[in-house]
Amino acid sequence: MTEYAVRMRKITKRFGALIANDHISLDLRWGSIHGLLGENGAGKTTLMNILYGLYHPDQGEIEVDGHPVRIDSPLQAMELDIGMVHQHFMLVRPFTVTENIVLGLPSARRPFLDLKAATRRIEELSAKYQLKIDPSARIWQLSVGEAQRVEILKNIYLDTRILILDEPTTVLTPQEIRELFEIMRLMKADGKSIILITHKLEEILAVTDEISVLRAGKLVGNTPTDRTTRNELTRMMVGRNVLFDFSRKRTRPGRAVLKARRVSALGDKGLPALREVSFEVRKGEILGVAGVAGNGQKELCQVLSGLRPVTSGRVFLGERDFTNRPPKEFIDNQMAYIPEDRQETGLVMEAGLTKNFIIKNFDRRPFSRRGFLNGPAVKKNAGQLIEEFNIKTVSGQARAKELSGGNQQKVVLAREISSKPKILIANQPTHGLDVGATEYVRQCLLDQRGEGVGVLLISADLDEIFQLSDRIAVIFKGEIMDIIDRPDAQLELVGRLMAGSREEGAA
Amino acid sequence: MKSGAGRTARILPAVLPPLISVLLAFIVGGLLLILLGYNPLEAYAMLFRGAFGSTNRICEILVKAAPLIILALGISIAFKSQIWNIGGDGQFTIGAIFSVWVALNVGLPPVLLAPLTFLAAFAGGAFWGGIAGLLKSRFNANEVITTLMLNYIAVYILGWLVLGPMMDPAGHGFPQTQLVGEALRMPILIAHTRLHGGIILALIMVVLIYFFWKTTLGFRIELVGKSVKVARYAGINVPRTMVLTMVISGGMAGIAGWCEVFGIHYRLLDHLAAGYGYLAIVVALLADLNPIGIIISAFFFSALMVGGATMERMAGIPFSLVDIIEGLVIIFVISRVIYTRWRGDRA
Amino acid sequence: MLDQLFTAGFVISFLAGAVRMSVPILLPALGEIFTERAGILNLGLEGIMLVGSVCGFWGTYATGSLLVGLLAAVAAGILFSLVMAFLCITVRANQIIAGTAVTILGGGLSILIFRAVFGIRMLPPSVEIFHPLHIPLLSKIPLLGPILFQQNLMVYLTWALMIVSGIVLFKTTFGLKVRAVGEHPRAADSRGINVILIRYICVMIGGGFAGLGGAFLSIGFMNTFLDQMTGGRGFIAVAVVIFSRWNPYRAMGAALIFGCANALQLRLQALGFPIPHQFLLAFPYVLTILALISVSKRAEVPAAFTIPYTRGES
Repeated sequence: MTEYAVRMRKITKRFGALIANDHISLDLRWGSIHGLLGENGAGKTTLMNILYGLYHPDQGEIEVDGHPVRIDSPLQAMELDIGMVHQHFMLVRPFTVTENIVLGLPSARRPFLDLKAATRRIEELSAKYQLKIDPSARIWQLSVGEAQRVEILKNIYLDTRILILDEPTTVLTPQEIRELFEIMRLMKADGKSIILITHKLEEILAVTDEISVLRAGKLVGNTPTDRTTRNELTRMMVGRNVLFDFSRKRTRPGRAVLKARRVSALGDKGLPALREVSFEVRKGEILGVAGVAGNGQKELCQVLSGLRPVTSGRVFLGERDFTNRPPKEFIDNQMAYIPEDRQETGLVMEAGLTKNFIIKNFDRRPFSRRGFLNGPAVKKNAGQLIEEFNIKTVSGQARAKELSGGNQQKVVLAREISSKPKILIANQPTHGLDVGATEYVRQCLLDQRGEGVGVLLISADLDEIFQLSDRIAVIFKGEIMDIIDRPDAQLELVGRLMAGSREEGAA
Repeated sequence: MKSGAGRTARILPAVLPPLISVLLAFIVGGLLLILLGYNPLEAYAMLFRGAFGSTNRICEILVKAAPLIILALGISIAFKSQIWNIGGDGQFTIGAIFSVWVALNVGLPPVLLAPLTFLAAFAGGAFWGGIAGLLKSRFNANEVITTLMLNYIAVYILGWLVLGPMMDPAGHGFPQTQLVGEALRMPILIAHTRLHGGIILALIMVVLIYFFWKTTLGFRIELVGKSVKVARYAGINVPRTMVLTMVISGGMAGIAGWCEVFGIHYRLLDHLAAGYGYLAIVVALLADLNPIGIIISAFFFSALMVGGATMERMAGIPFSLVDIIEGLVIIFVISRVIYTRWRGDRA
Repeated sequence: MLDQLFTAGFVISFLAGAVRMSVPILLPALGEIFTERAGILNLGLEGIMLVGSVCGFWGTYATGSLLVGLLAAVAAGILFSLVMAFLCITVRANQIIAGTAVTILGGGLSILIFRAVFGIRMLPPSVEIFHPLHIPLLSKIPLLGPILFQQNLMVYLTWALMIVSGIVLFKTTFGLKVRAVGEHPRAADSRGINVILIRYICVMIGGGFAGLGGAFLSIGFMNTFLDQMTGGRGFIAVAVVIFSRWNPYRAMGAALIFGCANALQLRLQALGFPIPHQFLLAFPYVLTILALISVSKRAEVPAAFTIPYTRGES
């Protein structure tokens, strides 16, 4: 066995005019955890998808365990003992853990499935690596953290020796993140190698042995973990020292513009998603709701904008009861909502920007008169918004899908803000955006707050919550654990609340 | 705003693909004919002559084109909203039934009765289409299946009516109703032909629908078609819009039925719709759901039908060749994507 | 009149007829279960059945062998379904429009083939259809015997196929792959499963079954080929698949219900029942709509249903 598990040499990959990977080289030693750091869009996932055989490089070579290889498909990657846990799990939800793991594997009882033997092996491996998995559980019954462990177990089962983890911690509580790192160390002790893709500095510093930093498709630095600092890494990642220094007006929050009183609601599967949620958002403040994704945030936004019915409780806009009113009434009463998935809910990807800007107010003056659309007014509006919000696009006719993620989010932002809302709900507004766009969006939210808008910010990014909020609420399994004033809030405490523990000093 | 040259540059890429699709369909159809022992050149020559051979024949084309245009317009509205209305035949039929019933049973002077029959036709088609719309919005019932089932049901209802309650007592037991009053029938435009005012109606409808897409209702229907999720988020009442879309689409099919009854047959007959509903789908798709394009597309397929009938009579080549060409045209139209994709991959 | 309905003779004849009439719905439904489980909605079944029907008839007529006819029908169904597969999987066209095209094409093609081979005749050509096969012992059971065990070969074949389908879908590695492809094609791809190939295979399985179903009509029931003889069964089959929640065993039950509707209508007509026969004829179609309404809440649709698959687009 050689020193290096994987050596990637001068890997280049283009998507049309975009150079996603530009002559990147990376060396992964056996028995080490290698961090791949970079902001969103830097090319980390592309590079690993090449290693995993999902993409073919335009140029460059790969060596696995000393042998030059061509990895044309995930099947070949698996034969080379390379495995990957993606951000969006590759698990079939109605299947059991066992079925997911044996999927595509030859069976001893061909052509029939042999689930018994597989189940036994799964139980053994689960115990060995402390994964705590029940083989007969169906994926839809599992929590996100548990499902992720199934993915890891799947790789162990397949004798993966080189494991790629793509942003594994975005869906975990701080406690679960610690457990994941333990599992990684167990695997490393077993001689396996791990590549950890992330944009989070604390994690990379906590668990890796070596770090490679990507920026705009290029490798900008490579260093042993114990010989670098946060600042140095940030500088490599972003090209400058980012301090996220926002201009923050002093405001005095006014009356409540949005109130939830003991709101309960069911999720898509009929299970409770919100339990007796109560809070209020005041004029001129940002109420940040911290929580790991999947704890009811989506349902909360929907309930507050009329997209989901409540099973009990009340929703107020100002003093008026808007419980279970249709979405149109919320919109007509100056509520703006930036949804979590801009590509599926917030924008029509196939439609031009001009149309996307007016989807909520096309039936009002000046965009329409007596039932007919006013073409010139619609175009003028688009031109104004594009300029005002500095949206990089070829023209107003460009389709939304032609824009970058950051610019797409700007379109949503522009639309929502230009309606002069009194309440603004923003759900994961900077998810998947690069630093520049992230800064812009966060400053926008602060500006709105300065203008007296009541902002409900929902985010799994604790940095974001702490930077922007006046008060912080924590949501866990559909319950509001607590609401704390920002000056009194500490990271540790909030992290614990996010994991569901209310008591002081509890693990 | 746009120069003449600019206009042409925009029309050509829009017109070329459908033309190629049609050409390919004829080529493959020709190969099929050879395979089965027929002479394609002879067949196509007969087809052409059968369609354009005389003034009368050309008028026949326009006669068939009128209901086809109106049907295709209605279908294009539903399709743009991603609601797959395959029920043109059924909505056409029920619209015709309503209008004839009104014509034969309501005692009003013709000046009032005529528009009433028109409204009744719309109402009938709207009702039949609305059922499918409601089933889709309330029960998520696949509209392809429901509209198809409603087609069959409508045909049976018509069959029962023309042999039963609405049968012409003086009709010697034929499955048909009495004739509607002369004053209600549409004027003939060219003497000694069957060409009636329906073609004018169709053209008027094209203009109406062209402007329909510039209304807020049109925008709403289009938005629902682009993304139900975004439409809901934007505050649109999606279930209501879906039903409304089917009501309009079905209503237009009903009008097409009115056109056929009050322009040609002047009574209800068994199998009135004769597959127009399916043909209209092909017409609409070939025209890329564009109202102006539908005129040309409908003309082409009507020519195909008129020519095909002659071809069968004169050369013995089965009319089903026309069905085959229809199917092939759809296939080539929707396969067009593969060409642009292939071009893109090579760039 | 009503008392005529409740004689043992009528009930037996009716139920036996129902079993028979369930076959041309169950066969395409079984195939469509594979197709839809893999994520493709095939609305061209009607056209494929017609092509299978005419080819089955031609094969039997030309060789005098019913077996050859069956093979010809299956082969024709598989070949013709390749058009649908190509459009849905490789072109990634809208599956509903593709299905409509295949239906129209199949209708025209089947007539063209019939005319080309048989020309126009005074009397339609006919063949000897499958004779009823009495299963020894079982066919003597009172009531159940005449209903279930005095059917023709194709009926028994259909039951066998139903059981095989269930086993393949739920107990084999292939079946697991099919279900994975329909639920989460990306996950299947990441396990080295060829999503495109599996989908092609499943559409072809659907085509073969549909061809077989069409053949039943021409050589297992009627003894000739008639224009549009499937009468919408290809679409009713799709409704049955949804109604049975993509399960072969439940599909049998659903198809039987439709078979009952068909059989009842024929017999009530023969008895001169005072309901206009058009209402009876319309009954199966009304039933289909009711079936779709009844599953509205519970449908556990395969998650990747009708969504074309491409690799590498994030």
